[in-house]
Amino acid sequence: MFTHKLFNLRCRSLMRKYASQTSAAASSVRLENEKLQKYLENLRGEYYALRVNTAGNSHAYARMARLEGVVNALERQRALERNLTSKHDLDKETDEDMRKLMEEENEVYTDLIRKQEEVILQELLLLADDENYPAVIFEVNAGAGGQEAMLFAKELYEMYTNYFEHMGWDFEEYAYETTDIGGLRHANIMVNDSQAYMWLCNEAGVHRVQRVPATEKSGRMHTSTASITVIPRPADFQINIAEKDLKIETKRASGAGGQHVNTTDSAVRIVHLPTGLAVESQSERSQLKNRELALKRLQAKLLQQQLQSAESSKQATRKAQQGSLNRNEKIRTYNYVQDRVTDHRIQGGTLHNISGFLEGGDQLSRLIERLQLEQRKVKLASLIEMWQPPSDVNN
Amino acid sequence: MMLKLLTKPMRCLAAAKLTRYASSGSSQPSAEHAVTETTKDETVVPVTKALDGWAGKLKEAGVEDTDFNLKCIVSHVLQRKFNTVPDNYANVSFNSSQLRDFERFCEARCARMPLQHIIGEWDFMDITLKTAPTVFIPRPETEEFVRRVIEEYRESEHIDMLEVGCGSGAMSLSMLHALPHVDATGIERSKAATALAWENAKLLGLHQRFKVYNHTMEENKYMPEELKDKQYDLIISNPPYVKTMEFQYLHPEVVVYENINALDGGPDGLRVARLVFDLACVHLRPGGKLWLELGNEHPPLVKTIMNLKYEGRLRFVDSYKDQYKRERFVQIEKV
Ligand SMILES: C[S@@+](CC[C@H](N)C(=O)[O-])C[C@H]1O[C@@H](n2cnc3c(N)ncnc32)[C@H](O)[C@@H]1O
Repeated sequence: MFTHKLFNLRCRSLMRKYASQTSAAASSVRLENEKLQKYLENLRGEYYALRVNTAGNSHAYARMARLEGVVNALERQRALERNLTSKHDLDKETDEDMRKLMEEENEVYTDLIRKQEEVILQELLLLADDENYPAVIFEVNAGAGGQEAMLFAKELYEMYTNYFEHMGWDFEEYAYETTDIGGLRHANIMVNDSQAYMWLCNEAGVHRVQRVPATEKSGRMHTSTASITVIPRPADFQINIAEKDLKIETKRASGAGGQHVNTTDSAVRIVHLPTGLAVESQSERSQLKNRELALKRLQAKLLQQQLQSAESSKQATRKAQQGSLNRNEKIRTYNYVQDRVTDHRIQGGTLHNISGFLEGGDQLSRLIERLQLEQRKVKLASLIEMWQPPSDVNN
Repeated sequence: MMLKLLTKPMRCLAAAKLTRYASSGSSQPSAEHAVTETTKDETVVPVTKALDGWAGKLKEAGVEDTDFNLKCIVSHVLQRKFNTVPDNYANVSFNSSQLRDFERFCEARCARMPLQHIIGEWDFMDITLKTAPTVFIPRPETEEFVRRVIEEYRESEHIDMLEVGCGSGAMSLSMLHALPHVDATGIERSKAATALAWENAKLLGLHQRFKVYNHTMEENKYMPEELKDKQYDLIISNPPYVKTMEFQYLHPEVVVYENINALDGGPDGLRVARLVFDLACVHLRPGGKLWLELGNEHPPLVKTIMNLKYEGRLRFVDSYKDQYKRERFVQIEKV
């Protein structure tokens, strides 16, 4: 609950910061918008109805809690509006000084009302966030460009793990495949934080790097890519691997074992019998460590398999989530020659100082916040567009 | 005793091989390999070249898992962590002194010196332990044993633990590493092992919660004088359990290089275990547990012994399988 508050605060300050950069998509979301007014009034009605009837129903209670922010903001707005002196009353006032005073007062209130509108909008945006996942699986994959792509993938990996730390999230690495020259083929990380999906979903897609690779002798510039996938883990989702479903294979399976022998091979292979999935690990000298690693790999594979199939069916029906699983969209370019990072989805998405950005601290954090805000506006716009006032439905 | 005398020449042979090249300066063990001159005095050999022929020689000498052995030796020579060395050794090379070391180590391995002694360290669960000549090398089954015990005590209150025959310290130190609420005391008959366990404790920064005594547990003198009234919540032990009869069939790595006192469990393999039972009667708190790693034919035997000879003192709780499905761990409770 506390983090939610913090988050709200953060959004508000963001809202102020970017209020001037309203994008085309969001321009339809104005408080004067008649449909939006109806929508708000409808939410207000829903809230009061729930307040009267929620006793014992946790589902309804949760919904009410979600609505509370918008409705309170709306009520404050209405209260402010009541303080305005009407044109009629102004005209009736004969005392010049008095009228001046009333006009000045009106200006102050108008200003406050405008600010309150922003608050309402912000609360609405929050309401539009319907995803709530306790964890996400975050994947980094090297793409086109051979070794250079793998080096880039490694840099992205470091950037994001730094970012996770920056955000104070708990995360766990499942799979990590490196290359001989220090690059990264593939990494799989579970981020255990209910805020993670919200912030990370816009990072999914293809990241492109343009630079002269360290290995390139002729000084030619290369373009290579790495992709990020963000797969949410729903609350009710769990992988339970039963011990009886596992076939654990090691080299040392015959003879008396224990003190009698000193064979050293520590490689472990695990077959998951129900699915036939096989994983192995021989990257450690301790057999138990190899077994733990292999099990983690298996768990990650199973999770991924199941999530992807569950997700693909959901995807068809969930417009809101579009893009977050789109691996092929080119979302960002890291151009070393010009020392810039450009996000292709927002206006003015070019930032300078690549090395600072790759540290995964404030710079990345700020860009993610901006993207997040844009995405919400779009979402809210489409939400209101699709919304049917109840009376229309009855017709 | 007889056995010790027989195995001595073999041990000397390997030791000689291990030092042969160290003193001989720039003799040319590498002449047969393609050598690339890069600077005047620095000869660099790709590891893939240096490996040439060694897998075959090791196999001939009866060493199994040759690839794994070679990779351990290569990473040791390069002073790199095992998991950072690529399996195909791309872009890794030796300078001339590293090459000499490498060949020296491979020779020693061909003489069946244990890999863990050659590289001077080994990984056990989450910790890395130094090894020393004659001190018992921890086995993978023991990792599974310790994993079980750790799970059993993960949520418990403070635990005072005793280990009988702690060797390199593998079991106690990995327990201490995993569980901050444990204090451990080890007793150990071998001087070399006692010193090694203490050194490992210090290297791992666990020495504040660890004590080790050089003491041989014997009938009526189970514990060192200063601990004779002490009682523990938990006793663990991996006592010597190889039957005397079995010695003739053991690999040279075990029978030649490990101390016979670390392995020999007498005619039925339970000679030292029986002493541990008696010790537990006195030094376990009521309700305290004794966990033992044994040979796979032992658990039913131990159950019988408990019922016949220790009734009212110790109670057999259960036995457990290792990762190869061999039943070899037992849990016993002080009544
Ligand atoms: C099989 S080793 C186990 C070492 C270590 N716990 C491990 O698992 O790696 C048995 C150890 O018990 C020690 N030992 C054997 N008999 C003993 C006795 N009577 N008193 C104390 N220690 C003994 C040996 O010296 C040896 O270090």
